[in-house]
Amino acid sequence: MPTKIKIVADSVADLPQDIIDRYDIAVVPCFVNYDGQSFADDGKELDREMYYKNLPTMSTHPTTAAPPPALAEEILNRHMEGADHLIAIVTPAKLSATYNSFRVGGSGLPANRYTLIDSGNLSMGMGWQIVIAAETAAATNSVEATLDAVQRVRKNQKLYCALATMEFLRRSGRVGWAAAGIGALLQIKPIVEVVEGEVKAAARIRTFGKAVEKLQEFVREQGKLDKLAIVHTNNEDGAREMRETLKDVLPKDVMIVRVGPTLGTHIGPGGLGFASVSAQWKA
Amino acid sequence: MVLEVSRRVCDGHKFKYLVHAGLAWLEHNKERVNQLNVYPVPDGDTGTNMWHTFRRAYSEIAEVEEAHVGKVAELVAKGALRGARGNSGTILSEIFRGLARGLKDREVFDARTLAYACKIAIETAYQALEKPVEGTILTVARAAGEAAIRIAQEENDLQVVLEVMLATAQDALRRTPDQLEILRKAGVVDSGGQGLVYIIEGMVRLLQGEPVMMFEMEREPANTGQPHLDGTWDDMLEPESEEGYGYDVQFLIKGENLSVQQIRKDLEDMQGWSIVVIGDENLVKVHVHLSDPGVALTYGVKLGQLDDLVVENMQLQYEAQIAKRVRKEEEEAFPEVEGVAVITVAAGDGLKRVMRGSGAAYVISGGQTMNPSAEDFLNAINSISNTDIVLLPNNSNIILTAKQAAKLVEGKRVTVVPSRTLPQGISAMLAYYNAHEMGADLDEITRDMTDALNNARTIEITTSTRAITLDGVTVAEGQIIGLLDDKLAASGETLEEVVENTLEVAGAEDAELITLYFGWDVREQQANKMAEAIRERFGTHEVQVMRGGQPLYPYIISVE
Repeated sequence: MPTKIKIVADSVADLPQDIIDRYDIAVVPCFVNYDGQSFADDGKELDREMYYKNLPTMSTHPTTAAPPPALAEEILNRHMEGADHLIAIVTPAKLSATYNSFRVGGSGLPANRYTLIDSGNLSMGMGWQIVIAAETAAATNSVEATLDAVQRVRKNQKLYCALATMEFLRRSGRVGWAAAGIGALLQIKPIVEVVEGEVKAAARIRTFGKAVEKLQEFVREQGKLDKLAIVHTNNEDGAREMRETLKDVLPKDVMIVRVGPTLGTHIGPGGLGFASVSAQWKA
Repeated sequence: MVLEVSRRVCDGHKFKYLVHAGLAWLEHNKERVNQLNVYPVPDGDTGTNMWHTFRRAYSEIAEVEEAHVGKVAELVAKGALRGARGNSGTILSEIFRGLARGLKDREVFDARTLAYACKIAIETAYQALEKPVEGTILTVARAAGEAAIRIAQEENDLQVVLEVMLATAQDALRRTPDQLEILRKAGVVDSGGQGLVYIIEGMVRLLQGEPVMMFEMEREPANTGQPHLDGTWDDMLEPESEEGYGYDVQFLIKGENLSVQQIRKDLEDMQGWSIVVIGDENLVKVHVHLSDPGVALTYGVKLGQLDDLVVENMQLQYEAQIAKRVRKEEEEAFPEVEGVAVITVAAGDGLKRVMRGSGAAYVISGGQTMNPSAEDFLNAINSISNTDIVLLPNNSNIILTAKQAAKLVEGKRVTVVPSRTLPQGISAMLAYYNAHEMGADLDEITRDMTDALNNARTIEITTSTRAITLDGVTVAEGQIIGLLDDKLAASGETLEEVVENTLEVAGAEDAELITLYFGWDVREQQANKMAEAIRERFGTHEVQVMRGGQPLYPYIISVE
């Protein structure tokens, strides 16, 4: 008898609405707090474009928050009813309390019907794991095959982002190196890379223009691609330009995605990056 | 001071005297060489560099009594290589390296052997440069060497050979402005070539019995394994007198019937120490350390006219030196770097901090005003435990020295990334930072750093030391000038106009990032105002202001 698998995500995955709808993915929102209020990052409470525009001039810097366990619990319970198995793929425990909320929130579920995965990645880096998990689940109805696909994607994916400023990463306090070293001394446009739940500096570059060139180099280093998302924080022009420059290496599955406010608060506006999955993952 | 040198052969002792005479005459004339410095930036240091180089060479044999000329020549070459500073100093050291090769295993040399050694010396010097430029010290050296080769076929009197070499070298020196446009425009002969002519001239003067101001050479401080970075003061020395270091007094006495022996004895009676008295009955050079300088001066004035008077308070110098050393040690406590390390050169506390912050394992103090020697590089190399090292000179006058140091190192792999300016060096350091973090090896890091050199254009703002028309720009002495990538781009009366005009030439309106490193005599407020003016004139660029602390250049600017 086929197993009905439901995929659950958190909003940091930055999944576009049409993908959420196509694969019927459940999304638990994270939160952004500022001006004494808390806004769910669900695409409704916050106007994302306005948020980025206002971000540099906000009187107090916003903070971000994981969904509370009760919210995770409520959403997980609701979807458990219509499914045989829940697979939740979420923001890394090293960077956020979201994983813990999903762990606590799902503790009442039957253990053999709920699998929680620390994606080790962010934005569409996590998003591609979810998309491929949903595709595999729909095609195979097999929990084992779906989890295996996610593991293979993890081994064949990259997420890089060039930051237009170090300021927001520094303020966020979640990345130790951002406040120290050369970046504290010189004006630097870092390219950050997410590897197994850690934000690393892949390159430190003096100008954003050169950083974008380097990003494109990184894309081309990946070899044949299966999927590519060009991600940005209110830098749609830059994203389009990058898609144009890279058109000779683009896979069929390509999209431009605006990073949500939760992650965007730590990156700041103007950033540009990509999340890729190489064709190797299918091998 | 006339030396009877047998005219047909020269042994180790005589060669030592010749080297000493060349050095003394170069020292006597080094300021003249400095003044010939053609480039309109205040780095008039060719003479100083060559003198430092040659003095270090002589220090290897100062206390050596050796009859074997091949061995003496080898020591001279060794010292020159280690002491080489600046481009001319480095080429000079290569000339002596070539001579030493040509004289290897020779107990004495005659005219023909000297000719052969000159041939090797020319070859060696030319090989030291990737692109030898005519109209420089190289051309003068070749002329002298070729003259030796020619004349030695028919002449075996060494004095005559040297005289012909000198005359030919002087002639070649006079023609350098025909070969190098920059010299013609400035109306000078090549400074390095002039330095070499003085060395040969000193040797000839010795043979002819002409006075050569000879000083007893003080040895440079022994190599203690610690790099000494600032001149010749050996502050490990205890003062010789209980009253401390006292005063260093030097003067020339012009008079009649002067007696060197009597003057020396009289100075000893005054309780002077480190006494050096040389000269003849009409001209005597006195050098003495005393606790009361007035005693020596009063004495000297009774004997004749005093000239070239120098009185220095060595106790104060000593104390300042100690204080400086302490500060330096505090500043220069470098964290250890794993794997491939970078040794670089910078002047100014801010620029040094940038270099350290970007991961340099060692920053040698120096730059435009003080070119470090090959030995400074070697000491830095030996002071760190890393075996794979990149040298980053940050000045076009230091690149050759760095390359030479790299060749001299044993047991370590050393490469040179030829950065010509500090902004280039900072670009290269970023590439290093990135590649090092990825665990790249020496070759990869060297390649990445070299590739990064042209990521930034460099503007240097300074004051012209001479009137000149160059690169289409006319400059009066004392005017402010702007150099773009080592080329004169603008001149004017105020910093503001020169900075803006040079930025204009650099195409600043298309730049993404402009960084102002302000010098030690510029206040931060002034630099911020300058940054604001740049933002206004060139649009929405990011303009970063950083304290460089460098001397001579109010602003060093990178345009990226």
